[in-house]
Amino acid sequence: MSGNRVEVNQDLCKACRVCVETCPQHCLELGSAINALGYQAVRFDSVDCTACGMCFYVCPEPGALTVIKGEDA
Amino acid sequence: MRKVLIKGNDAIVRGALLGGATHFFGYPITPASEIAQGAANLFTRSGRTFLQAESETSAINMIYGAASTGARVMTASSGPGVALMLEGLSYLAGAELPSVIVDVQRAGPGLGNIWPEQSDYNMCCKGGGHGSFHNIVLAPSSGQEMTDFAYRAFDIADAYRMTVIILTDAYVGQMMEPVGFPSAVRHGARKSWAVYGDESSRQNLISSIVMNQTGMAELNIMLQEKYARAARDLTDWDEIETEDAEFLLIAFGITSRVASTAVSHLRENGLKVGLLRPKTLFPFPSERIAELAGQVNLMAVAELNNGMMAQDVELAVRGGCDVRKYNWYGGMVPSADELASRVREDFNG
Repeated sequence: MSGNRVEVNQDLCKACRVCVETCPQHCLELGSAINALGYQAVRFDSVDCTACGMCFYVCPEPGALTVIKGEDA
Repeated sequence: MRKVLIKGNDAIVRGALLGGATHFFGYPITPASEIAQGAANLFTRSGRTFLQAESETSAINMIYGAASTGARVMTASSGPGVALMLEGLSYLAGAELPSVIVDVQRAGPGLGNIWPEQSDYNMCCKGGGHGSFHNIVLAPSSGQEMTDFAYRAFDIADAYRMTVIILTDAYVGQMMEPVGFPSAVRHGARKSWAVYGDESSRQNLISSIVMNQTGMAELNIMLQEKYARAARDLTDWDEIETEDAEFLLIAFGITSRVASTAVSHLRENGLKVGLLRPKTLFPFPSERIAELAGQVNLMAVAELNNGMMAQDVELAVRGGCDVRKYNWYGGMVPSADELASRVREDFNG
């Protein structure tokens, strides 16, 4: 396990799915919970994240995604 | 020139700063939010002013106030936000105040979604608000043009005392490309008509109200003359493979990038297809399109709306040749192959 992860600010996400479709490791998916804006915010649940940052770069919502590189990566 | 890989929206902010923007008033909206974010960072760090308004209506009226004092002002939004600014755009036109507004178009109507469309064409190119007015509308198609057009926009706005709208879309705004930057920072000069709160500008009055009919008519006539001058001096477009074209594609923004690739594919297959890409949507390159109507057999306008630019093309050709409409909605952007196959059908049909 690398410990790499993506933190999603649930209330900034508009569920556009660009990160879901861009992630080469398929680490992101639409969640089932409805956020404050009324969207099904993206959820991160994976051990395969390489912290490549592509989700961060394609996300149109500044501040919605934070990519954190694990200490043992 | 050293280049940096950045989003189109970030390229706008840097171009604006280098072009001499002094004030940014805005309210974030997807897919334009990086512009407000970048301005909050870079405007403040470079000694300029950034202020997040409580709404787009507030932002456009802050623009009016600051432009009155000679500042080089800008805002950025998307269709729903620009729609809220239309009253202010009319007042800016009436008071002849220069400003720069970026519209990163998203799909509509209503809240629509955050994917690219070009359906703010009529709203931006036909004035938008009440009264007989226009804005100068620039249509960048790359990250480089986002910087270049933002860099030029403030000089154009000051020269014509008009609002310059940079009409881009979610695709170009979000796409990352290598962008080079001009080396010289521009600065606005003191404006003889502005109010600076000093003795020499005390007699100046910024207003759009003219209560007598002849005065209001004279203002309108002067505005139309100014728009005609802008049409003579600013109309700009690109052409690809038009010299011997029998079929002309017309597209702007992201659609022109797709069309450019489609033209390459079609030429490889021996079809004489050309592309005209307006870089200014107002003023519109009507005269050149009318000339080409005498050369080609068919024109097609590819755009992410219900044929808004196609209406301007039809007006330009005045029945001189058939004009087909290729339209996409909702954030759907055609592939080069899809567009090429549409052209092939009509070319052979």
